[in-house]
Amino acid sequence: MHKRAPAWLGKWLVSGPPLLYLVVFFAVPSLIMVLASFRTPGEFGGLAPLVDESGAVDLTLDSYTRLLSEPLYAEIFVKSFWYALVTTVVCLVLAYPLATLIAKSERRHRDLLLLLVILPFWSNFLIRVYAWMIILGPNAALARAVNGVLALFGHEPVPLLFSAFAVLVCLVYVHLPFMVLPLYANLEKHDQSLLDAAQDLGASAWQRFWRITFPLSLPGVYAGSALVFIPAFGIFAIPDILGGPDDSLIGNVIKQQFLETRDWPFGSVLSLVLTVLALALAGLAAWIGQRGVGRLASGDA
Amino acid sequence: MKRLAALMLSALVALPAIAKDQLHLYNWNNYIAPETVKRFEEFCKCQVVQTYYSDNEEMLAKLAAGAKGYDVIVPTGNAVQALIRGNRLQPLDRAQLPNIKNVDPVFLDTKFDPGNKFSVPYAMSTTIIGYNDEKMKELGLPTDTWAVIFDPKHLEKVKRRVTVLDSPNELFAAALIYLGYSANDTDEKHWKEAADLIRKAKPYWAAFNASSYIKELTVGNIWLVHGYSNDIFQANLDAQAAGRKFRIVQGMPKEGAVLAVDSMVIPKDAPRADLAHKFINFMLDGKNSAELTNLIGSGNPNMDAARYIKPELKALPAVFPPKDVQARLVQLQDLTAAQRRLRSRMWTEIKAR
Repeated sequence: MHKRAPAWLGKWLVSGPPLLYLVVFFAVPSLIMVLASFRTPGEFGGLAPLVDESGAVDLTLDSYTRLLSEPLYAEIFVKSFWYALVTTVVCLVLAYPLATLIAKSERRHRDLLLLLVILPFWSNFLIRVYAWMIILGPNAALARAVNGVLALFGHEPVPLLFSAFAVLVCLVYVHLPFMVLPLYANLEKHDQSLLDAAQDLGASAWQRFWRITFPLSLPGVYAGSALVFIPAFGIFAIPDILGGPDDSLIGNVIKQQFLETRDWPFGSVLSLVLTVLALALAGLAAWIGQRGVGRLASGDA
Repeated sequence: MKRLAALMLSALVALPAIAKDQLHLYNWNNYIAPETVKRFEEFCKCQVVQTYYSDNEEMLAKLAAGAKGYDVIVPTGNAVQALIRGNRLQPLDRAQLPNIKNVDPVFLDTKFDPGNKFSVPYAMSTTIIGYNDEKMKELGLPTDTWAVIFDPKHLEKVKRRVTVLDSPNELFAAALIYLGYSANDTDEKHWKEAADLIRKAKPYWAAFNASSYIKELTVGNIWLVHGYSNDIFQANLDAQAAGRKFRIVQGMPKEGAVLAVDSMVIPKDAPRADLAHKFINFMLDGKNSAELTNLIGSGNPNMDAARYIKPELKALPAVFPPKDVQARLVQLQDLTAAQRRLRSRMWTEIKAR
């Protein structure tokens, strides 16, 4: 008789390759950085030889002690954390109503609306960032309007371009779709009859949102927040292009270690810390998400 | 139909033949005139394949990470030094480079490569002041001194209309020169003075910028920059093409400035060192060398090129520094790993706090 392959084999055959791809290409570069972080930078770039002429092996904690002994780098991590957090919160506040609107719109309109959300991806990321230089430029309509209003109140003109404001506006713009899509995917599955029942039992619109829709949407909120927060935490291109003289973030410092400074070990240490922090935050979000869903299921939400 | 098949077959056979003779040039963006490339391809019966970088560090990082297959690279002095000491270049065969006689001896036999064993000068630029002539005149600001970039007394008048290069090496060099030290000074105390100078001037600057200041000058958003002579030249071309009323002018600071001489080198693992030598000799020809200067306003170390260069370019001190200016130009030395760490620490502090 013909024997059928067990179900688990099929599952692994299908999901194995992408999983392997992700794990290998996350693990291998991270491992290279772990190894590099214990070395000394080479005089002319790269790493110093592992074993020098005198036979001494190049293994050192220098880059780690440097990170710990100088509060400067911790400060920059904190500053980058705030930029990423503000970006995430603003994205959430903007994306929630939009995702709700799309989820509640007629089915035949949904595809078009979703298409509009991902439309920006059709043009190159850097071109979109450069476009903000034009939009925020001092002679553009926006800056003139803002400064015109400020002048009415006797306020000095403020620059929009090359500022923390420009960096944040662009961070939100670039990451907004990553918040909208998971939120939509979640909100679309909500059961309308739950809300109807709540209304029948006398819940106000706000109560229906806060006690039913929002708790149910938490997995989408966490997924979207992770997708926005993590890339925003390590970004370097946007502050490079739109930031003012004070808007250097941890991504810029890491880039600088690998380029101008040719200090791969210290760059690796900073990069690993960033990875660990991002993983920890994503883990935290997942844990809170699980708990939230669990609480909901046990009925004490 | 049969004939078509035969044609396609022969094309397939010919393909590897075309692919065989290729010169891989790893070059700065827009750093060779297209007509020069075309003429060289006809001359060598080969194809020039260009890959680009936008700064030396990017190029060094790529090579350090193991990139291979380039026949000619065009690094700046200090990067040439790093490549030589890193044992990544092959010695040039002088017999194949008769045109080296065209190079001004001032630019030969430098500290970076004594005796030019590994490198020959290609083109150069200076790091100077660029400004909007209309605005500077209106504000009554000097344009021949680094004071206008660093002194708050001047900066107050151009607050948030100034950019400086997003490069620790260039900005520290300018600050050190302004303070009366050598651009290559490595005394930590002097570096701290330079960092203080930069920190005090920073609130007046709009940004650290190495990429878009050309455009910002052209449209009139930025009036004053610390930038590369080629870029400032380009900004003026663009401003004139756009019909602006103002001009973007190069200002040579009287205190001195950084000179960057880019040289042609052949990596140790170059697949086609023969073509590389042909290319280098070709580019040392006055006419070919002049084409680049006419295109981007780069400085030219080639004595034979002068007669092919547009007269309006020859008059620019940043392009052809007269003797007295030349004496005040300094090429940057490569820093040691420890010095780079220290500078990086200072730079991060300047930018983040």
